Amino acid sequence: MTNLILDQLTRHYGSVKALDGFTHEFAAGQVHALIGKNGSGKSTFVKMMSGAIQPTSGSIGIGNAKIVFSNPREAQRAGIATVYQELSLVPELSVEENIFLGRLPEKRTGLVDWAELRRTTANLFEEIGGLDIAPNTRVADLSVGQQQMVEIVKAMSFRPKVLQLDEPTSALAQAEVRQLFTLVRRLRDLGVTIIYITHRLSELDQIADTVTAIRDGKFVDSVPIKDAGASVILDMMFGDLPPLERPVHTITRDEPVLSARHLALAPHFEDVSFDLYPGEVLGIAGMLGSGRTELLHCLFGALLPDQGEIAVNGQVVTRPDIRTMKALGIGYTSEDRKHSGLVQLLSSHANLCLAGLGRIAPKGWISHTSERPFVDLQIAGLHIKAGDPMLPVSSLSGGNQQKIVVGNWMNNAPEILLFDEPARGVDVQAKRQIYELIWEKAREGLSSIVVSTELEDLTECCDRILVLRDGHIAEDFINEGLDTKDIYAACMAVSKNQPESDA
Amino acid sequence: MSRTKFISLLRRNSMLIILMVLYVIVATTAQGFFSINNQLNILRNIAVPGMIAFGMALVIIVGEIDLSVGSMVAVSACLTAWIVEKLAGNAFEPAAWTVIAAFAGTLLFAASVGFLSGKLRQLVNVPTFITSLAMMATLAGLANLITNGVPISSFPSWYYVIGSGRFWGIPVPVYLLAIAFVITFTIANFTALGRSIYAVGGNMEAARLSGINVWRTKTICLMTTSVFAATGGIIYSSLVNAGNPTIARGLELEVISAVIIGGISLFGSKGTIWGAFIGVLFLGVLLNAMTLWGFNPYVQQVIKGGLILGAVFINFFIDRR
Repeated sequence: MTNLILDQLTRHYGSVKALDGFTHEFAAGQVHALIGKNGSGKSTFVKMMSGAIQPTSGSIGIGNAKIVFSNPREAQRAGIATVYQELSLVPELSVEENIFLGRLPEKRTGLVDWAELRRTTANLFEEIGGLDIAPNTRVADLSVGQQQMVEIVKAMSFRPKVLQLDEPTSALAQAEVRQLFTLVRRLRDLGVTIIYITHRLSELDQIADTVTAIRDGKFVDSVPIKDAGASVILDMMFGDLPPLERPVHTITRDEPVLSARHLALAPHFEDVSFDLYPGEVLGIAGMLGSGRTELLHCLFGALLPDQGEIAVNGQVVTRPDIRTMKALGIGYTSEDRKHSGLVQLLSSHANLCLAGLGRIAPKGWISHTSERPFVDLQIAGLHIKAGDPMLPVSSLSGGNQQKIVVGNWMNNAPEILLFDEPARGVDVQAKRQIYELIWEKAREGLSSIVVSTELEDLTECCDRILVLRDGHIAEDFINEGLDTKDIYAACMAVSKNQPESDA
Repeated sequence: MSRTKFISLLRRNSMLIILMVLYVIVATTAQGFFSINNQLNILRNIAVPGMIAFGMALVIIVGEIDLSVGSMVAVSACLTAWIVEKLAGNAFEPAAWTVIAAFAGTLLFAASVGFLSGKLRQLVNVPTFITSLAMMATLAGLANLITNGVPISSFPSWYYVIGSGRFWGIPVPVYLLAIAFVITFTIANFTALGRSIYAVGGNMEAARLSGINVWRTKTICLMTTSVFAATGGIIYSSLVNAGNPTIARGLELEVISAVIIGGISLFGSKGTIWGAFIGVLFLGVLLNAMTLWGFNPYVQQVIKGGLILGAVFINFFIDRR
């Protein structure tokens, strides 16, 4: 057997034990979901298995053979391949070129042997049971889901015994997730040990054979999927966790704080109208590619709609741009912490004081001392575990980074806050804290719009849910014991008459 | 102080420590290095590259670059001399107001060029590496154009004071350097603009979505650098008592080297004005020492180049921990 055997695997960072005596045997030919909240040691695990960092002590073995490697290439050679959340394909090259990047077959003359490349790729595709992508397609022309599959095929071309998948579905639409799972199952049936890291607990049923949890750097337990109900999983991840109740608060829906009328932005949506009322938490659901982010950008003034009107407190905004909207009390927290939400190089302190600069420094003068109260307020109010706030924000976990994004806007005292995927890539606990924060602020009068791919998140968090479909608001649900399935059905009506390549 | 704190203190001030080591080495090996006169001499020599380096630091932190500063120095010197010549006509000793008008005109010109660079960056979305390269050639050409390639000597007799004069024993350019330091240091550390500069340089999109005026921020940095370069041009025009189109060739390299030596990252958002000062001083001390040591100027050039690489390596290893 070629089981993956980890014995007392440990990694220290200074005095911190990021991974602490992790011991477990992962059976070959199974998909092992590895779960754990942010900061549990999961990413240390992935990095160590991929060869990016080395264990302080302990050993890794495949079957009876101990393997040692000191960088990702050696790890690959030793039989462990890793596919990261962030894609590393060259968009301008074809699928086959990407798969065999750096080791293209050559003729005697030193020129690329294209025929041989075509053959090898075809063999590889056949071996893994076929892939619905032409090998000579330019990667840039593929959807994110297809690119993810190319990454996996590329990893498979090294004939690994162990394949690590780090949140492969986080950017995928439902249909693409299904295709990806089909591929993963085929690889499993070829006898590969698959370590599947995910935040999406709802996926486990569909793909995992066992669920293994890691908490505070330690191995907690590993159970077969049939025994891993939601409560078991949450217990493994968090110990005890009280259930989450959305507080009931009355919303008077007569005078909207924000109104959109006939907003159009090609090619995303053509006629979007709705109202947001004071203290309301309004969810917007829709499939990937339905233009949810673009809609928020329009409301925030970051994108100019082709047509339509936006009114704040009954006043039509004639030329919406970010500064105007900000002055009217609107804020926007980005879905993408790394690329547009935070300045990763700067400290948590600095990142908490960007949107509120005008408020913190009304005359333009500023100092660390004058910023300090604003920083402390958010760190305390949002339960941010930042350690030293002067350290780069990139050193924080995803959940804490997300809270910094929110705190940055809280420091501008917004009246309307647009949350774009506030729960993306954060663990259940951090997600709950973010929802609790949204509710708390709602009671104080903040009106919010929340956009999420995870429909369960919307039913959990929002007072009212709009469904964005075919370029307009298709449904308007008041969330009183709403069933996620209803929203799902309302969203999915799209796929009947719209091609999927839109996603 | 704990050990880790001490190490991080060392790391943050690594360039300062290297500078101090250099001081000790030079002081023990080069005759006359530590005389007050020589020290003031160093400060006067770094005044012009120094003030431009402070502006350049802001430009690089905000994520841009300005390769045209050398040409800006030259064209400013020429423009100042040209305006004085035009206004003074045939007067043997041009009136003071002609000089003041020339200063105003030159600084205004420089500010407009900086503004134009910012606007170009915004509207055409071409990297400033390219636009400032074009600007470098254009301004150098302009300097030749207004002087016909021959230095203009039009200044009144007291004009030398700006470059060579002293107040309380300290050269006038050193005061200007100090003012430039205070201005840029204040911007970087104590203004909302400074915070915006670091944010824009670190992540333009995040800054934009935080409601920061990205283009205004970049334009102000470019304008500041242009104006400092023009001030440098005025100082040089006084030092050589003429508007000479050939001065300050390659000054941009010296300025950018100093900024890099000072630990400012070309990727933006990282570095300080204090660092830029250390970098400039380091370069100034080294050049001075090499002259005192009697190094051949060509050797000096080679060492200057190697220094940039050395500084980049040091910063790379410090960053990697």
